[in-house]
Amino acid sequence: MSIAEAVRSFEERGHGAYIESIEDHRMLINMGPVHPSTHGVLRLILELDGETVTRCDPVIGYLHTGMEKECEDQNWRGAVTIVTRMDYLAPFFNEQAYSLAVEALLGIEVPDRGRYIRMLFAEMNRLSSHLVWFGTQGLDMGAMSAMFYGFRERELILDFYEMVTGLRMNNGYFIPGGVWEDLPEGWEEHARTIAKMLPERIDEYETLLTENPIFLERTRGVGVLSKEQALALGATGPIARASGIDWDLRRDLPYESYGDLSFKVPIAHEGDVYARYKVRMDEMRESVKLLDQIIDAMPGGHFKNMDPKLMPPPRSEMAVSMEAVIHHFKLMTQGYTVPAGEAYAAVESPRGELGAFVASDGGSSPYRVHVRDPSFVNLQSLSPIAIDGLLADLVACIASIDPIMGGVDR
Amino acid sequence: MQVLQVPAGEWLERARALRSEGWLLMDLCGFDALQLPEGDRFRIVCQLIDTETKQRRTVQVAAEGDPPTLPSVIEVWPTVDFMEREAFDMFGINFEGHPNLTRILMPDEWEGHPLRKDYGVGKVAIDFVPQPYLQIEGPGQSPKPEEAHVSVDRLGQTLTAGKPAPSEDVR
Repeated sequence: MSIAEAVRSFEERGHGAYIESIEDHRMLINMGPVHPSTHGVLRLILELDGETVTRCDPVIGYLHTGMEKECEDQNWRGAVTIVTRMDYLAPFFNEQAYSLAVEALLGIEVPDRGRYIRMLFAEMNRLSSHLVWFGTQGLDMGAMSAMFYGFRERELILDFYEMVTGLRMNNGYFIPGGVWEDLPEGWEEHARTIAKMLPERIDEYETLLTENPIFLERTRGVGVLSKEQALALGATGPIARASGIDWDLRRDLPYESYGDLSFKVPIAHEGDVYARYKVRMDEMRESVKLLDQIIDAMPGGHFKNMDPKLMPPPRSEMAVSMEAVIHHFKLMTQGYTVPAGEAYAAVESPRGELGAFVASDGGSSPYRVHVRDPSFVNLQSLSPIAIDGLLADLVACIASIDPIMGGVDR
Repeated sequence: MQVLQVPAGEWLERARALRSEGWLLMDLCGFDALQLPEGDRFRIVCQLIDTETKQRRTVQVAAEGDPPTLPSVIEVWPTVDFMEREAFDMFGINFEGHPNLTRILMPDEWEGHPLRKDYGVGKVAIDFVPQPYLQIEGPGQSPKPEEAHVSVDRLGQTLTAGKPAPSEDVR
């Protein structure tokens, strides 16, 4: 029986985890879609020779809900609430990429304050997303406390989201033209608390894992992705940077106001799980530095483009003017139209290049929205790094790629 | 953003040339222009990036025929593996030379290609059979445990049970 036939017969018998031996005593086993270390509903079909992985096929689509199609039924503002649910640990980046693409089609500018608020949330989000990665990477390596600490600090950041946007996840806060609401009273104190606390907390995390012999044993030299492989497989983000590719969209193709800020792009050359760990930890420190700069430099003025064709009138005006009520009603029910055309905008999300391709036919809803999700592309790197490794190391590899299945399946 | 239109026949050759100039492929997605006034119906839109000169460029390749067919560029950019499978799954674009062109997001036995503009939202009939409503006297009553599966109208109104009107295609 060939491998392809074995896989087929295996699939026909359902999804239960079971083992079947084929000719040369290799085993086919099914991992997932419901498995604690696959971080969601990732299913892997593995071929094992003893404990060595000889083949690894990701099977995805278990979380597919047709979000790209759903966007076509929303108005331009409403599609933000769909795209934000794609990569659910980094909701602001989805919104940012989509908003940048729509802004490019509309040909509008975001005021300084709007851009800085967006960067503030993007960097907060990078931290909260990396904290979940830190927790799950630790947990998969048997370091249970990493999970507790990571989620403890993430909670404070989520509180900040809740304070400003009203929601902890799937915020729908960035809109084409700026952000939906201005920052409330007391934001600065809360944000400064986070920026002040995190550096010492990150030091604490490092004392847990960075020189821990068990952790080193399980991550050094495990799951090596060479620079050539990373380039060929289109890997971006910390995975590419851990393989020695010095590329970060914030620095190399600046969007928003990243050109005004100074930060370093951490890279490593080993390409193993440990290098990815180091890169992400260093990225968290850089994000904290960026937070400080953004809070210090937060400009005043409008937080969104005030073009009345795009933005509803303020509440105070609606209390006294019938025209403002009609204006608000028209914008909320029909939305605005966007000139026909196509645009692609990309941002550096915690997992790599998150791009949005948006096409308009001149109507009041998107003609096509496609999101290039970094998890979807990076998942292709899993097979090459898992093959010829141990089954136990596969768990470390999955955690170090940090795929978010909501983004993979969309 | 520069847009480069490439005929389907030259795509593989042009892809090799672009790759040797240093262009990396970041994204490939399908596109259905059915409701647009002009242009071929199916095409792929590729986003390329050059990390040396820090430039981006867009390449559009129209797919002709039924099913729409294009050469696969997986030998040039191995990263298009999942992307071409997604374009096949969602738009039915056939990539010749792809080693494993199967559905990636939809189930294998799915019929049709969901992101095509004529696929029609609402085409899949929803199996809605009105349940008999339980009449309960007095406010705040809950159904008995053995009848708990029966839906109760909150206002205590009896809804007429009957066959729902046949649903029409939304599009």
